[in-house]
Amino acid sequence: MLLECGMPSAPDPVCPAVELTNVVKVYREGESERVVLREVELRVAPGEIVVLLGRSGSGKSTVLNLISGIDRATSGAIRVEGVDVAALSETDRTLFRRRRIGFIFQFFNLIPTLTVEENLRLPLELNGIDGATGRARAVDLLSTVGLADRAASFPDRLSGGEQQRVAVARALVHAPALVLADEPTGNLDAESARQVLGLLADLARRAGRTVIAASHSEEVAALADRVLILADGRLSERPR
Amino acid sequence: MVWRSSLRHLGAHPWQVGLSILGIALGVTVVVAVDLANESARRAFVGFAETLTGRATHRIVGGPSGVPEELYARLRREGIRALAPVVERDASALEAGGRTLHLFGIDPFAEAPFRSLVTSDRATASVPLGTLLTRPATALLAERTAAQLGLRPGDTFGIRVAGRRQRLELAGVLTPADTLGTRAIESLLVTDIATAQELTGASGRLSHIDIVAPRGATGDALLDRVRAALPPALEIVPASSSARALDQLSHGFSVNLTALSLLALFVGIFLIYNTMRFSVVQRRPLIGALRALGVTRRELWTVIMTEALVLGALATAVGLPGGILLGGGLLRLVTRTINDLYVVVAVNELAITGTTLLTGAALGIGGTLLAALGPAREATRAAPRAVLARSTLEARTRAAVPRLAWAGVGLLVGGALVLALPGGSLVVSYGGLFTILLGAALLTPAVTVAVVWASQPLVGAAFGVLGRMATRGVIAALSRTAVAIAALMIAVAASVGVGIMIDSFRQSVVRWLEGALQADVYVSTPSPVSSRAEATLDPELVARVRAAPGVAAVGTQRTVRVQTPSGTVQLIVLAVAPRGYRAFTLKEGDRTTLWSGFADGGGVLVSEPFAYHRRLRVGDHVRLRTETGAHDFPIAGVVYDYGSSEGVVMMGRGTYDRFWSDRAVSALGVYADDPRAVDALVDGLRRIAGPEREVLIRSNRALREASLEVFDRTFAVTTVLRWLAMVVAFVGVLSALMAQELERAREIGVLRALGLTPAQVWKLTTLQTAFMGLVAGLLALPVGSALAMVLIFVINRRSFGWTLQVQITPTVLLQAVGLAVGAALLAAVYPAWRMGRMELSAALREE
Repeated sequence: MLLECGMPSAPDPVCPAVELTNVVKVYREGESERVVLREVELRVAPGEIVVLLGRSGSGKSTVLNLISGIDRATSGAIRVEGVDVAALSETDRTLFRRRRIGFIFQFFNLIPTLTVEENLRLPLELNGIDGATGRARAVDLLSTVGLADRAASFPDRLSGGEQQRVAVARALVHAPALVLADEPTGNLDAESARQVLGLLADLARRAGRTVIAASHSEEVAALADRVLILADGRLSERPR
Repeated sequence: MVWRSSLRHLGAHPWQVGLSILGIALGVTVVVAVDLANESARRAFVGFAETLTGRATHRIVGGPSGVPEELYARLRREGIRALAPVVERDASALEAGGRTLHLFGIDPFAEAPFRSLVTSDRATASVPLGTLLTRPATALLAERTAAQLGLRPGDTFGIRVAGRRQRLELAGVLTPADTLGTRAIESLLVTDIATAQELTGASGRLSHIDIVAPRGATGDALLDRVRAALPPALEIVPASSSARALDQLSHGFSVNLTALSLLALFVGIFLIYNTMRFSVVQRRPLIGALRALGVTRRELWTVIMTEALVLGALATAVGLPGGILLGGGLLRLVTRTINDLYVVVAVNELAITGTTLLTGAALGIGGTLLAALGPAREATRAAPRAVLARSTLEARTRAAVPRLAWAGVGLLVGGALVLALPGGSLVVSYGGLFTILLGAALLTPAVTVAVVWASQPLVGAAFGVLGRMATRGVIAALSRTAVAIAALMIAVAASVGVGIMIDSFRQSVVRWLEGALQADVYVSTPSPVSSRAEATLDPELVARVRAAPGVAAVGTQRTVRVQTPSGTVQLIVLAVAPRGYRAFTLKEGDRTTLWSGFADGGGVLVSEPFAYHRRLRVGDHVRLRTETGAHDFPIAGVVYDYGSSEGVVMMGRGTYDRFWSDRAVSALGVYADDPRAVDALVDGLRRIAGPEREVLIRSNRALREASLEVFDRTFAVTTVLRWLAMVVAFVGVLSALMAQELERAREIGVLRALGLTPAQVWKLTTLQTAFMGLVAGLLALPVGSALAMVLIFVINRRSFGWTLQVQITPTVLLQAVGLAVGAALLAAVYPAWRMGRMELSAALREE
């Protein structure tokens, strides 16, 4: 583990929250190879909201997967809060993700067998925050997203917009440094999408969280401090 | 194209297809194996009996002393020629692991109209009749048996017969015309009548005389002539009656084995239902698309049912050879039990019959098609665009839970009513039993839901959110988990039921033996059939035992078969020593007046199965053919006795001696002066018997252990079948978990993304399966106990007529829950490992 910008638990304000250096990702499909990312360079400052724009299959999700340690780069370095993610073992990457990263998915991906409140308490419990403290934090955040009255409901009783609001709350409940959102509005109607995005931006900015969202929607891009375009495996910044 | 898509779907899920084929194949294997073993044993027995009976239509039989040889000579002198004398007895070879043989002494000159053993063209070429007739102690064996014993004509070999060791010379070999004949004569040891009499120590006596009486008036006239010449002790019976009686005797045993094998198939059919349903659910988008493209309901139905047909056919193709293989192993166990309990018959080869294979195929394919009907209907019911969402399907399943539960209750009540029907046959009883099991299976989803909700606080406290996820996951996928739990529950319930039944049976036998074996030492002759010690002890030995130092008293036992109007029965003649009266546990009768009448007053005791099968009570009569003709003996008591499933009549020695001239003794019960010196007494009696005599001298404890050994051997085959049903259920749980793994890939991917380590995924999966096992195990306890009660009070009673004292040990119950949880956890190992290792990015991409 290389620490260049201080300890991950107390990041240096000048140190980037996320740093990708010369990252290449190649998928092997039988005999052939498909290059998804070509020498990608990226630096995201702490508290910054960055949106990756690109068409379907352009590699946006791959970038998020590499940052979270779900996938591994073919070459190049990835540092999150100064931690070289590629150098971590499988278990350490999982633990790092558990503590420092929050996820929002296109299809909500709430756990169907847990109630709304329990879905929020899951990341807390995984991080050792259980009992009354965990419950209080979950209930508090549910109130913030306007779903306090649905705490005991199971996800299949909620609308798509409500489910994604729960997903936003779940991604932030354990106070991660980084929130990764993969097409967070891809499965929502315009009104719900607006609500969810507003909520995400508001909560993240208030808590000073770094957000990297992948999308093909200009509406999402409108929230960003910075918009990056991913095309032909290369990342470029869209001028303001 | 529709067919191609179906084929590719099956090809893309090899695990799922493989496990369902394995499940149903195991079911077919067990059914075919049991049927083949039963049928082979039955055929061997019938073939053997027919070979011995030959063309005889009737036989003259006598009591314990058999038929005087002089009668045969007299009848022939009177011009009745269609007669053949026979002396027969069970024997065993001294070499070749004590292989059982059937000594069959004949008069070769009288044989031609009866049997072709030594008189066919082919036989006469290989049988040196001259040697057989003129040289003493010569015998014939089947060509194959001789080869197996390593014997050639002229060689000598040892046998044990009538409690004595003897040596014989192989005069020649028997060469039957066909394979069936080969099997039938495999255990025959043919000698001249005089040699057989010498070997059995029954000079001047015959076992019976065979008669060929033509149909019609001529035959009737012939039989009348013979009948007129018979003394009162003898009678004419149809030649087939003894074979039929013994065949009926082992009928209950066969039916019970078949029922256990059907249980394995029952569980197998559950699995195929599970697979077909999952296969339909998994393809719901494809089915919706096909319907939208114009594929009709009928076409879809045909595709799904054809898939089932292919799966069923493949499983049957695997199951049939498996059944033949397993059948060979089971045959050994079945034959051993039949030999122990009923009759000595050598069954060395599996008789593979077309009927059995066809039945297996019909059950395998038919069962699969039956199980596929529901899922096929479900697939075709969906409107083209309204493809079932997974959650909708599960919601629909959950909504059906109360309906299923009520149907289950209905079946339970229906099954109980069927069982309560008085005088129901064994097959009807098993019908009731299976209805109850099906009812319990339908109740499983409701019980599962109830247990999950009831256990939430506890599970949450113990395992947190993960625990709650694990248990609720069982309900979330109820359409599949319920079937797996039900299959496991039925297998475990069967194990509990059969386990309690065997425990109760064993405990009843142990208690009975404790009471019945009052003497300190038992002296008897070895018998190939454990339950039929008909050989007799040397009178000189009996006298010496009575006079031996350390002997306080001696009780005697003589076991014979006597004729009744409904065939032969086992008669146990007892001279009970004063301490010996405690040996009898009365079911009916007055102990205070019983013994005075029993010793020599003419009253008899009958065992419980005897009374049950013939619907007899105290005060009724048993008609036995004595040497002075048929005589009615009043029943003074009905006693508990687990020694014979056909039942026995017990008679005092004094009474017996008044009606029969036979004074022989089959076994002695010796009471020691000093009960603490039993071992010394055993040694002393062994010295008295000497090394030459074939006598078993065993302490009370040794005899009890030997008896229990026979008991345990009898249930060995049951244990094998119980485990096979468990294996089928295990495949069911594995199959359900593998299906869930496919389905939950994305959910697990999300959990891993949220920070669950592979170890936690493992924990989640094993917690869930352990919970499934626990629910199955807990549900199996009442169902298994109810099953045990049905087995004990209905099936066992209707099969054998025994009263068993119910014995439910906590061990059996704990084992059941342990077995269910263990099987479930074992089944979870591989799916959990795979889930822990899944490629996260791919899992998250999947929709």
